[in-house]
Amino acid sequence: MSASDAFGLLGCGVLGLAAVATLIPLRPLPPGARYAVMLAAAFAVFIPFGDLPAAAYLRGITGDVSVTTLILAGAACIARLTGKALIEPRDRQVLYQLLALAAAFLYPFALGWTQFDPYALGYGSVGFVTVLLMVTLSAWRAKLYAVVFIVIAAALAYLAGACESRNLWDYLIDPLVSVCALVRLLSGLRHRLSGKLTQPAG
Amino acid sequence: MTRGGWLRWGSLAAAALVFAGLYIRNLALPSSGGFAPGEAARAASPAPPLYAAELLPNSSAASVHSATAAEISGGRLRAFWYGGSREGAPDVAIYTSVYSPKEETWSPERAVMTRELAQRQLRRSVRKLGNPVAGRDRAGRLCLFFVSVSVGGWAGSAINLMVSEDEGETWGPSRRLVASPFFNISTLVKGPPLQFADGATGLPVYHEFLGKFGELLRLDALGHVIQKTRLTWGQSSLQPVIVPRSEAEAVGFMRYAGDPPNRILMIRTSDGGAHWSAPVKTALPNPNAAIASALLADGRLLLAFNNAGENREDLSLAISEDSGDTWRVVRRLEGDPGSPGAPVAEYSYPWIVQDRAGEIHVLYTWGRSRIKHVHFNTAWLEERR
Repeated sequence: MSASDAFGLLGCGVLGLAAVATLIPLRPLPPGARYAVMLAAAFAVFIPFGDLPAAAYLRGITGDVSVTTLILAGAACIARLTGKALIEPRDRQVLYQLLALAAAFLYPFALGWTQFDPYALGYGSVGFVTVLLMVTLSAWRAKLYAVVFIVIAAALAYLAGACESRNLWDYLIDPLVSVCALVRLLSGLRHRLSGKLTQPAG
Repeated sequence: MTRGGWLRWGSLAAAALVFAGLYIRNLALPSSGGFAPGEAARAASPAPPLYAAELLPNSSAASVHSATAAEISGGRLRAFWYGGSREGAPDVAIYTSVYSPKEETWSPERAVMTRELAQRQLRRSVRKLGNPVAGRDRAGRLCLFFVSVSVGGWAGSAINLMVSEDEGETWGPSRRLVASPFFNISTLVKGPPLQFADGATGLPVYHEFLGKFGELLRLDALGHVIQKTRLTWGQSSLQPVIVPRSEAEAVGFMRYAGDPPNRILMIRTSDGGAHWSAPVKTALPNPNAAIASALLADGRLLLAFNNAGENREDLSLAISEDSGDTWRVVRRLEGDPGSPGAPVAEYSYPWIVQDRAGEIHVLYTWGRSRIKHVHFNTAWLEERR
């Protein structure tokens, strides 16, 4: 198995585990039972039945997931198991905003809306790297270390050629994490609006 | 230093190192230097007109489509196509056969890729296989690109590549090309690959999800997509075929899927493929069907196309002596009234190869039940009828 296949299956497998950890209420279970459930889920996701493991079927649908998705899915698994959030809410909120902005810039144009193709910038644009550097430095200045860590991890994976893609965008973002970010942002907005509406006047 | 201090300054140092790596990598990328001149076919010497045709073997598939071919050692031709119980069925496989010009016969077909094999090699689920495209990389190895779908219809396609070191007798494992950020779906291939001067391989591709438009991928020696250029955009152009004419200039033709009048689209570049003109409609009709083109040894352009606006019942050849500005229809391969035809009158998806001896081969889908091979020389093209 090539390294990029292993990385691709790992990403989809962790995504599958995060789905299991989210769908099954783990918190009421004793710690040992929680780990047993996740171990059983890991077997189900990574051990082949027939030709392929479940992660490979998921990979057929989603393609390789980004490093951002891999980290968020891994963090979700750990949070469900331990009850401790690895990513601060403030980091998470800014990360979602950045992902939503990037998705709005990337996908409509990449799908053929105009002659301009921002996806091509990911193959080696100094301008694109400079913008990413500015975003990372801004996050660092604001002490949003989770955002900085995710960018570093994605860039390292890109430099190592960990995924099938040689496009930096594919390490930073994918449609799944974009939709997740958008849903979380809209859900947060809805809560804020409903909170304002239900506040007593005066 | 406190834990917070380590986190703050450690993350900054890590970011500095990583971004230094990104800048070094991006600044070290070579520029393409334009198209590499193709291996020239021998210019046609005075010869009597030559024409022959035969159907390729097909012992099992009820439906076949989308032939492609490349010249291999000994002046032979290796063809590929997909076949199965019907288009898009799980039993569709990619078949190959070899044409021997000495014996003037095709070898029995054999499957080189099945859905199950693709699934194992690509390590992901695969629902069906589609268009194959054959060509050579800069090292001279035979490459076979093929479409596969994991979810949905052809709009869910992705492209895969496998390489042979022995002219197609055996193949290395197939690998996935990544050409779209959107689940890497909706990238298909139909036109032949070409070479860039820096050793990269160019692969014309098209997208069918939401929009219908063409792009030119650049692949490194390992088959990774390392750059791409948009050929067109919008909803109506697909299946690009690119014909380089020099290091800087190339002309491209595309299938048209828009509003009438239905015409073959043409695009041009004069900077080695970095920028492409907006597509213009040629005078030749196009019933939303694939076309094929090749630069002949004498510098003229040859085009195989369906010479009708609404159906694929007429397959003809046209010649251009002014790089695609004007065309002269010189031969009709299929669709002559009164001539025996296929049970289903569809002649489509042509593929052109000019071999090193100067003979021209056209392969195409013949009634969806067989692949037909016609071969001729330029004297036959120009013969007065």
